[in-house]
Amino acid sequence: MDLPFSLTSELRDSRLIIATSGYVNNIGGEAIATEFNRHFESGIKEVVINLAQSKVVNSIGMSFLLEIIEKLEDAGGRLVFSNLDPAVDKMLTIMGIFKFAGKASDVAEALKSFS
Amino acid sequence: MRDPVSLKIELPKIPDIELVAVEGLDRLARFAGISEEKIGEARILITEAVINALEHGGDESPNVSVEFTITPKEIVIYVRDYGRGFEPSGIADPEIEEKIRSKNKRGWGLKLMKSMSDDFHIESDRTGTRITIKKFLN
Repeated sequence: MDLPFSLTSELRDSRLIIATSGYVNNIGGEAIATEFNRHFESGIKEVVINLAQSKVVNSIGMSFLLEIIEKLEDAGGRLVFSNLDPAVDKMLTIMGIFKFAGKASDVAEALKSFS
Repeated sequence: MRDPVSLKIELPKIPDIELVAVEGLDRLARFAGISEEKIGEARILITEAVINALEHGGDESPNVSVEFTITPKEIVIYVRDYGRGFEPSGIADPEIEEKIRSKNKRGWGLKLMKSMSDDFHIESDRTGTRITIKKFLN
């Protein structure tokens, strides 16, 4: 199974959208956190992580996303996950991540939730 | 599919080797006519079980044995490492409120395996750890 990780990011109205593709393991999780940090240092506090193309993730990868949530909590910002595979949705629910982050069916809904 | 289909593999400790187990699961599930939707959680269970075993396996025998069987009713996953073992009851479930503020944000594998499976059994001693997970398909 070849699931190389990659990501893209874009800013829309000062909101960061990170879209991943492939397996979110420790390397993928760290790459997401690095991309977030680059924008967070510039003042970005509203973030969407679109996992539509990541059907396989692991808890080590997800633990990197807790760093993002911690920073956004401290800065009064917010993270919203979008396009979650049902199994990934369940995984994040069990971890309790949605106590501190939102979820949306797609990026448009995620962006709307910030308004 | 009427008869169970099984796969046994021995995984070496190399990066992302857990994806070999996931690929095996996908192929067996397709052969058995099980929908993608139904195996999503089993993919995560296998991934977590293998990375947990690789992390806690011993240096002398770092390989991990994986076996899974698919029947019309369930997927049974068996993962074994050859590490020093641990006391499972001594591992507290992580809490998100603490993990977010902790330097160590990892340690979710056991909680996820227990919570996502329909039946979870772990045995651990000085010869290693054996995890058996069942995921019902109906």
